[in-house]
Amino acid sequence: MMNYIWLSLIVIGILVAVGTDIGEISSNKYQNGKEMKVTIRLENDVSKIEPNKKYECTILLDAHDYQSVYGISLTSERITQKAELLTSSSEQGALHIFIDEETPALWKDISKAQRNSEYLLSKVRIDGKNQTAAVSFDPVKFVRVSQVTNDGIIKYAKTSVELALGLIGIMALWLGIMKIADQSGLVTKLASLLKPVTTQLFPDVPADHPAMGAMIMNISSNMLGLANAATPFGLKAMEELNKLNKKVGTATDAMCTFLVINTSSVQLIPATVIAIRAASGSSNPTEILGPVILATTVNTAVGIIVVKILSRLRIFKKQLEVEG
Amino acid sequence: METFVSIIQTISVIAIPGLVLFIVCYGAIKKVKIYSAFVEGAKEGFDVAVRIIPYLVAMLVAIGVFRASGAMDFLFMILSPITNFIGMPPETLPMALMRPLSGSGALGVMSETFKAHGADSLIGRMVSVMMGSGETTFYVLAVYFGAVGVTKTRQAVPAGIIADVVAIVMSVWLVNAIWG
Repeated sequence: MMNYIWLSLIVIGILVAVGTDIGEISSNKYQNGKEMKVTIRLENDVSKIEPNKKYECTILLDAHDYQSVYGISLTSERITQKAELLTSSSEQGALHIFIDEETPALWKDISKAQRNSEYLLSKVRIDGKNQTAAVSFDPVKFVRVSQVTNDGIIKYAKTSVELALGLIGIMALWLGIMKIADQSGLVTKLASLLKPVTTQLFPDVPADHPAMGAMIMNISSNMLGLANAATPFGLKAMEELNKLNKKVGTATDAMCTFLVINTSSVQLIPATVIAIRAASGSSNPTEILGPVILATTVNTAVGIIVVKILSRLRIFKKQLEVEG
Repeated sequence: METFVSIIQTISVIAIPGLVLFIVCYGAIKKVKIYSAFVEGAKEGFDVAVRIIPYLVAMLVAIGVFRASGAMDFLFMILSPITNFIGMPPETLPMALMRPLSGSGALGVMSETFKAHGADSLIGRMVSVMMGSGETTFYVLAVYFGAVGVTKTRQAVPAGIIADVVAIVMSVWLVNAIWG
């Protein structure tokens, strides 16, 4: 199952990106190399443009000129953008147009594809007398594919390591606390307290097994919305469950049941949602609490029933059999 | 409702320090060498975090590719007839699809929806309930199974996805029933 999900996320993602790009190339969405007429105003009262110099300037583009190039209309009548002119002769040079709130979305996409988030790279021909110029952006191709490479593959590979390393401290803390609870007999005590429920849910796990205590602590932290305590308890529970696993690398029934309870977890305090609702000016940020508790109770119940039924299916049972 | 909310919120604030205090004191009473026990347990923290890295990279990169490619827009188109049928506004689809894939992504979707429709609109409420009742299922699966090196996940994935779908359907139904 994991194989198929992984494969489809990657294959669908890359195919859609390539398809979109081919579509954009054939319709020439970004109008690569096409010149646009703009008005150019140099700052600091420069009277004459000299070669090989840098000038601060502002460019103005009429909505009507924008539309004649891209075929899309603008919301405002004209765009004003700060820019930087780097001349190679008195009539030609490079223009860096700085991205701000006024920059059209299409231009932002172009700058992303040019791998530059601060400004757009373009070439310019200046008509000094009329204060006008013809601007053409440095051509971009495969915008989506490069987004997949940079925002998808490279960024997320980095993020996942940062996430994992960020867990070390909180992990160490809770695993340390867990060890004290373990050695003092608290974990087994907790497990025997909820014995009637847990033995029903996890028939393969001995009632006084340390996995039970860890699972109970994980489930209750999850219910209270204490995500950073829940993960260490949960991983500890998985390790304990794995000690009972006869076929390492394959999930046991208990692991599957535990994970479904975990991902569908009853939520008593959706703290993040309430905080963001309050920050967004909701008149009653906590009103969603009732529906959330009800929805998560029902989906946990359904999840447990489904995972129990599925565990009896032949295809899943077969995977547990130890060969030889 | 108000008192219930305030009780619950108080619990969430004192739960962590309370739990630490209780476990440490209980250990001391039971004559456990608490300091050395803590250090011994904490040592495992590094190993566990490092062990999950390959699983996390595999899962998050696949999700990253899917998100950056714009494939979600196509899914919205394919799924819209079904969502209309269950009374789910199309504006809430991004949340329904993003929730199991990425926590930060779902937060972004929620803020955008609040900006566009308001937190107290029907869509805003529905998105809030979806956010609160959902979980980053794929991240949890990758991390938990990764920690014990499980790659054959058996019934966990289908059951987890079904539970997610039930949470979405329940959110739609409850919000429509209460505020619709």
